[in-house]
Amino acid sequence: MNTKTVGVIGAGTMGAGIALVCARKGHEVKLLDANQAVLEKANGYLQSTLSRDVEKGKISEEQKQQTLGQVDFVSDMERLASCDIVIEAVPERLDLKKTIFSELSRICRCDALLLTNTSSISITEIAGGLPHPERILGFHFFNPAPVMPLVEVIQGKKSSEENMQTAYRFAEELGKVPVRVTDTPGFIVNRIARPYYNEALRIHGDHVADVAKIDRIMKLAGGFKMGPFELQDMIGIDINFATTQSVYNDFFQEGRFKPSRIQQRMVQAGSLGRKTGEGFYDYN
Amino acid sequence: MTTTDQAVALVGKSPLYAELYELLNEKGYRVLSLGEALKTPEEVQLAVEVNSLDLKEKEEQLQALDRLLPPHVPIVTTSLAITATEAASWTLHPERICGFGTLAPLAERQLIEIAPALQTEEATIRKAESFFQSLGKESELVEDEVGLVFPRILTLIINEAAFALMEKAATPHDIDVAMKKGTNYPYGPLEWADRIGLDEIYAISRGLHRDLAEERYRTAPLLRKLVLAKRYGVRSGQGFYSYEQKKGREA
Repeated sequence: MNTKTVGVIGAGTMGAGIALVCARKGHEVKLLDANQAVLEKANGYLQSTLSRDVEKGKISEEQKQQTLGQVDFVSDMERLASCDIVIEAVPERLDLKKTIFSELSRICRCDALLLTNTSSISITEIAGGLPHPERILGFHFFNPAPVMPLVEVIQGKKSSEENMQTAYRFAEELGKVPVRVTDTPGFIVNRIARPYYNEALRIHGDHVADVAKIDRIMKLAGGFKMGPFELQDMIGIDINFATTQSVYNDFFQEGRFKPSRIQQRMVQAGSLGRKTGEGFYDYN
Repeated sequence: MTTTDQAVALVGKSPLYAELYELLNEKGYRVLSLGEALKTPEEVQLAVEVNSLDLKEKEEQLQALDRLLPPHVPIVTTSLAITATEAASWTLHPERICGFGTLAPLAERQLIEIAPALQTEEATIRKAESFFQSLGKESELVEDEVGLVFPRILTLIINEAAFALMEKAATPHDIDVAMKKGTNYPYGPLEWADRIGLDEIYAISRGLHRDLAEERYRTAPLLRKLVLAKRYGVRSGQGFYSYEQKKGREA
């Protein structure tokens, strides 16, 4: 495997996780964030995660230092000019992503692969109007990036087949399991998983069974590791609701994806799950 | 293990038939066909009816059991494609009809859902519960709606996977891998459907669409066509995947 120079934009949970995945495989990483405090927090995350690897005997102290040495913390986008691959992992706002890809199109070599770690925004729309849209692709990690094996490699309207193959191989080299998907709302996982939450909410709303009973049934009858309501509480009910709304709207209000009023009320009430101490279950 | 020579009448064409036949035998029940039950109706302790795809046949077989068996004998019926209340409405003794729902393969089901019809009497529910308990399964009571809880939710997931496949958003393999690796599903939705039986999933989808009459429950055209072509999945050799080659290798 040849090592590459990989830019990662956004040093939040996702960006820092992706930087770690790349550095562990020996790639030179430039982790970019405009906010110095966020970069410092990301540095702390990398330090503590790798220290734990040393304690567990997974890696030596030397390997830890080497991996840390692979990561350069930068705040100026011009520093990404030498990158072979850039992975953008900023918050899910189209205007923000469009600005970043417009900048990257100017700064990076025209054969550099430009990847967006989006879960809900159209790759075609991000690449629209930019020079060399054939090298702009979706590259969707799942949270937490160092743990979850899947990467959805997403082909926008103008992404080239050759670049799809390069991105697919890159995901494999990172030790991930890539799948290919066309630029459709929710891609694979966030689309096909919608009924797990939405239909459970509907069944609950129609009083066919209550929350605890539905969770119990899905685990004991279905073999799912977590019930749909425990899972929403863990993900965050607001996050789950926003994903459903996004898929619903991107399918032009297709009835199959219609969001739940019960879920909307939970969001309005600020009952967002574990993070607020209360969601479908009480954690206080 | 139950030590009993109790007789259970088992009728129907759902993929659950073969699974239940085996499980009932294993638990020491004598399994009677409709014809056998006709000869010795007084021996039958309980009847199980499991048609989902052909509702005309479901109606005929339930009515035959209802005519044949003394009124105190409970009849449990799959409420996967139709509500238990509607099935009970076809009979002269609706109070002994009780719905239930599960999906093949039964070895993977620790729990079976029971859905009493509006007409079901309490004694029937208790008998249904102890029957499933004797099969080594836990049970949960849910209200009567097409597809109950687990079969309904899984059907919608499989249906959405079929839409994505029809649109060629991804290959069957990539769809299944994504759901297992991206969100920890025990099986990918398409391979899961092949193991359950596409006919069963289609019957549930069609039943939900018929009874609840919403766009939300529209069956993916690809799923419907596969069932019409008798590609039911693993047991017919072809479904979303082909199993012919594998069989050839084994043989």
